Amino acid sequence: MNHAHTIAFGIAGGIVAAGWLADAVQAQSDAAAVGPTPERLFNATIRERPDEDLIAQGRLVAAGGSGAGGAAMACFTCHGADGAGDPAGAVPRLSGLPAWYMYKQLNDYADGSRDSASMTGIARQLSDTEREAVSAYYAMLDSPHPRMPPAGNLRMLQWGQQIAAVGATDRAVPACLSCHGPDGAGLPPSVPYLAGQHAEYIALQLRLFRNGERHNDAMQVMSAIAKKLSDEDIDAIAAYYSRARPVDAAPRADAGQ
Amino acid sequence: MARKLPKTDVVIVGGGATGLVAAYELAHADRRCVVIERGPMRRTSPTLQSPEQHDELRYGIRHEHQVDVRRNTLTFRNNRQQRALPMRRLGSFLPGEGVGGSMMHWNGVFWRPLPSDLRLRSHHEERYGRGILDEELTIEDHGVTYDQLEPYFDFSERVFGASGRAGNLRGETREGGNPFEGPRSSEYPNPPLKQHFAGALFEKAARETGAHPFPLPAGNCSQEYRNPYGATLHPCVYCGFCERFGCSYFAKGEPLSAVLGQLEGHESFDLRHECEVLRVDKSADGKTATGVTYVDRGGNEYFQPADLVLLCAYALWNTHLMLVSGLGRPYDPETGEGVVGRNYCYQTMAACNVFFEEGVRTNPFMGAGALGYAIDDFNGDNFDHSELGFIGGGYIGCSQTNGRPIEYNPVPEGTPEWGAQWKRAVRDYYLRHAGLSIHASSVATRHNHLDLDPTYRDHLGRPLLRMTFDFPDNDRRMAAWLVERAEEIARAMERVERYDTENRAAFGKAYTIVPYQTTHNTGGTIMGADPTRSVVNPYCQSWDQHNVFVFGASLFPQNLGYNPTGTLMGLAYWALAAIREDYLQNPRSLVST
Repeated sequence: MNHAHTIAFGIAGGIVAAGWLADAVQAQSDAAAVGPTPERLFNATIRERPDEDLIAQGRLVAAGGSGAGGAAMACFTCHGADGAGDPAGAVPRLSGLPAWYMYKQLNDYADGSRDSASMTGIARQLSDTEREAVSAYYAMLDSPHPRMPPAGNLRMLQWGQQIAAVGATDRAVPACLSCHGPDGAGLPPSVPYLAGQHAEYIALQLRLFRNGERHNDAMQVMSAIAKKLSDEDIDAIAAYYSRARPVDAAPRADAGQ
Repeated sequence: MARKLPKTDVVIVGGGATGLVAAYELAHADRRCVVIERGPMRRTSPTLQSPEQHDELRYGIRHEHQVDVRRNTLTFRNNRQQRALPMRRLGSFLPGEGVGGSMMHWNGVFWRPLPSDLRLRSHHEERYGRGILDEELTIEDHGVTYDQLEPYFDFSERVFGASGRAGNLRGETREGGNPFEGPRSSEYPNPPLKQHFAGALFEKAARETGAHPFPLPAGNCSQEYRNPYGATLHPCVYCGFCERFGCSYFAKGEPLSAVLGQLEGHESFDLRHECEVLRVDKSADGKTATGVTYVDRGGNEYFQPADLVLLCAYALWNTHLMLVSGLGRPYDPETGEGVVGRNYCYQTMAACNVFFEEGVRTNPFMGAGALGYAIDDFNGDNFDHSELGFIGGGYIGCSQTNGRPIEYNPVPEGTPEWGAQWKRAVRDYYLRHAGLSIHASSVATRHNHLDLDPTYRDHLGRPLLRMTFDFPDNDRRMAAWLVERAEEIARAMERVERYDTENRAAFGKAYTIVPYQTTHNTGGTIMGADPTRSVVNPYCQSWDQHNVFVFGASLFPQNLGYNPTGTLMGLAYWALAAIREDYLQNPRSLVST
């Protein structure tokens, strides 16, 4: 494994619970070589904190696009210099998302396992190192959240909070925070935060999971859940989380310096 | 004075796996079912959601999903020369309490018995001659065969969403499954779970020693799955909170995720929780049960009349309820006569703890209750016992159930039990340990049994159940032999720094109820074809009161080398089919005596 790569990937599916031990979990490439094939294992691995060079390279990609040029325009163009995204719809907030999660999304865009008219072309232009670098860069940002959107329908917010906290009992839907963590703060490296994400983006992703257009989630956990959600549930969850803020809005454990 | 309630068709004692399944099947046969459960109500949502559910102190250490031993417990002794004392803290086994029962907090290891396991006495006498069985052993045939039960094993695996790979599909041996298992009529409903790193090393080593590893049959669902009742199970996320915990994710096949949601709201289903059955009441002639008397949380007593009484409590409490209700003749170890309390068995547990070289990362925090590989080469009568001096065996598995912060702290033998060195060892080895577990059978003997304690009483004034148990010499010989087999595999595993062995049933060590071993208490109300040696007939129906049926591991004439849930669920569906298709049309003893 290239030592310059600070975020290493042992590949596979069941990486959902790795979270808080991300820093402690090391690459297992040498161990994997002794027998079992890597695709049968489930080790998400992160080697060490990102170094300055990688962050600098990530900033360059974010500001100027791929070194190879072409379709990979600057991330800033849509996601903003601070990774704040765009509340209008399809552009998520990236600031402070787990690096591994973003890197995986870029790989998934590139190989088609997550489909997007805009992101697929961009991800394909990025080299592997560039994907890592720009993921590390956005992970270490800690931009202020945008002003709270208007509360709107309070009954809907309350329903969203209820699904978030305990699930939907009548349809056997588990609570969002069982995986996405207390307050929707996320569980790095593999589970993104929901708190403070744009409502339109959350709702769109849940609908894409529900209708099968998005299916790059580990073991199709999200697809199974989204299929049980009504439009009202989805809008309620999205509205709630767009207004939620983690109690301790500190950078993610693996977000770097 | 108990208040008499309107009569119901069926009263079910216990709201766990067999109780809720029985209610589902009989409510859908248009019978009004009243389920009486002494513990609290639960639903996956909202009750079992995390992070609250992932509170190891509360559920892993303080056992809040298990029986409250301040109210209901048992007394224990190793032998009849001792005076039994009440168990006031849970330890060796953790019977569940509350809706969902013990299966709600199971790990999910979902075996079927071997065909020979179900006719254990006949099989051994046929293969080895009568001399193989020590006179002390009171092992029996179940009175029902694997082929008879197979459709019901199959169905229960569909209800609870089993994940695995068939090793014997309609008689054809299939690579990657268990070659020793009885024929399956269909493949597992879900593919095996993803495997862990140490499991993969075990698999390779086991193969090199000539054994036949395969993924443990799992009740942790590997993918999105809709069961025959219409419940959707979700994919397991390998969070490592199965045993002792409820599953937050609808991913563990258990009564709440797989049954309750589809049953609640049915007009023939009436669940009364926090109500404790005092006794089963009998008719004047003693030939039938008339219903049950129970007490609610406020101390009010009720008599619930019913045509049919199903005992679906945990194995130990089924036995207790029969004894305090005067159902069946109590077993007397002195004379060997009587049946209720006979053939209490446990599970013979041993382990080989493997510590890998530095650099190997097993990542124990990613786990599932039945995640792992096992070999069945040394289970049951899968190997020649003629020169070994014991019968029975067990599976050897390498599973990764959890890496929870309080209790998962494996350290090599010889490490101090506290202090700086212990802490250093925990840090050093947390990420490079694997446990090879030996999970082995428990033979029935004349001495190990359950009866009523002459001294101690429960919170309702009834005598406590008394357990008399120690590991039989047969099982001690078996355990020692199995530990050697596990060591052979540990030696063949790559990158192992050292391993230690641990044998609960070592010679010279009395069984103790203190350290956790396993929640596999069996027997006490055993099934069989002979009314002088069993409590219920092969349809799990009481020999003495034909409208009483018994469910659960208390039916096992002896304990197998397997976790009991798969076997007892198959038996439950078998009995329910007999009730639905035969008994309800013509209530009588289904076996003439």
